[in-house]
Amino acid sequence: MTRTATQAIEGRGRRGADAPALSARGLCKRYADGTEANRGIDLDVLAGEVVSVLGPNGAGKTTFLRQVTTELRPTEGRVEVFGVDAVAAPLRAKRLMGVTPQEAGVFERLTVREHLELFARLKGLAKADARAAAREVADELCLTGEWGRRVGSLSGGQRRRVLVGLALLGRPPLLVLDEPTTGLDPASRRAVWDVIGRAAERGAAVILSTHYIEEAERLSDRVAVILAGRLVAFGTPEELLGRLERSYRVSYRDPLDPEGEPRSLYFKSFAEARRHVEAERLSEYTVARASLEDVYFTLTGLRAEEGAREEAACGV
Amino acid sequence: MRRLNEITCVFRIQLAGMRSEAGPFLLAAVVFPSAMYLFAGAVGGAGAAGDETRLRFLAGSIVFSLSLTSISWLGYLMLENRFTGRLKLFATLPLSPSSYVFGFLGFALAQGALSTAALLTLGRLAGVPARASLAPLALVVVLTILCLCGLGAVVAARARSFTEGSLMTDALGAGLVFLAPVYYGPEAMPAWLGAVSRFLPTAFAASAVRTALAGGHEVYGEALALALTATATLALALRLLKWRED
Repeated sequence: MTRTATQAIEGRGRRGADAPALSARGLCKRYADGTEANRGIDLDVLAGEVVSVLGPNGAGKTTFLRQVTTELRPTEGRVEVFGVDAVAAPLRAKRLMGVTPQEAGVFERLTVREHLELFARLKGLAKADARAAAREVADELCLTGEWGRRVGSLSGGQRRRVLVGLALLGRPPLLVLDEPTTGLDPASRRAVWDVIGRAAERGAAVILSTHYIEEAERLSDRVAVILAGRLVAFGTPEELLGRLERSYRVSYRDPLDPEGEPRSLYFKSFAEARRHVEAERLSEYTVARASLEDVYFTLTGLRAEEGAREEAACGV
Repeated sequence: MRRLNEITCVFRIQLAGMRSEAGPFLLAAVVFPSAMYLFAGAVGGAGAAGDETRLRFLAGSIVFSLSLTSISWLGYLMLENRFTGRLKLFATLPLSPSSYVFGFLGFALAQGALSTAALLTLGRLAGVPARASLAPLALVVVLTILCLCGLGAVVAARARSFTEGSLMTDALGAGLVFLAPVYYGPEAMPAWLGAVSRFLPTAFAASAVRTALAGGHEVYGEALALALTATATLALALRLLKWRED
């Protein structure tokens, strides 16, 4: 991370800057076999904000993030990181970001301290700064107790936290995190959420992909939904909820099939929902405002139970 | 300065990994080549054949050791990085692929220095009459390592799977020694193989190491051939090793 970049973001707080930290314009990715993984994605992330990218498996989330991190060359379109063209000058762009790739491996034979310190050095930090940065990241991610342990002896969740820690080293002004909390237990997930929140408070821009809608709802200033390679929705959770024509959900069990799966119906108003409950003489039901989850399932055309199966299938 | 720091870090990451692999390293770099020295002596009758043959066997074992550590071992580590996702950690850093490769080369050179010194010591204990010219020997060892590491890196960058890559590096590591006039002369080979194998890098390396062990300095031809091969293989490896996919 460059000093200029660090200084530039300090003190801004969340969503404090006008110029985008990340700007993607018309991003398309066509693979050699003809698969179109991204089809003209336009998306900005501002300094100090957290943007979550949601979408079913194979929607093109990781392809999009890999083009941002310069791992994948876009077929068409532009990616700029703080005004630096990430396609033409990948090294300069990468100096401004911290990345947690989705399927990255760790060096099992290194200790947590060595892993963090050596990668901090690789990011260009001086020896003393690298040591301090490694210690800070270990503290933030509750890895201090594992400081001298070989990474290979850590649990899967602890390894994932090490990987998230590598992205945080040197406080880069843009964090790109591909499913950072996949496989983490609730406590570890919360620790990562806190770290992401603090990074945004310090003024860093964060873009992350996730399968957890709760995570997106809790962390994000804005949410992007990618479906079949297209950005089908992008806005604050409130804006996305506003897109739902029917924003009241009645969840109930069919009185004729009390052992069956719970069902959901959507209505334009609370009164309309109540009328339906009374007309159907439902005895076991809840009426609630639609959530981001409802928006997601409406946009993607998945039903909640299909989504749950999809999450279970990918180990989420 | 920045580049030097990057190379040093990659070197240190590999070196730290060696802590738990000192045993397998000694096996590949010293024990196995020493056993090959004894085996060649037993089969070829080193005692009867005299000093020149024993020098050939020692030179062969040094080249065998360099081949195993540079192609098989280093190639394996590079494959492991690529197929376990560790390479992504480097690819997403502001680090050039050449720093990654040069860090590996530094590690290979350190290993090569260690294994060559160990084999020279064992040779002395076994009574091999080596009067090594150190400067030519060091030059040839360095060029051999660069050349063979380049081959290992090419395989690691091109392999379609970890299994395919590790089979290739193992086959190359041993094959380049046993298909070249390293332990035996080209006259012991089928004519066509002798004609081809004299151009293998291990053949140049074995010839030059033999000359240097015998106290000679005339290794320029072999050194040039090794330098050219090293340049070609490393250039190809750097070209194939991309941080960014198309």
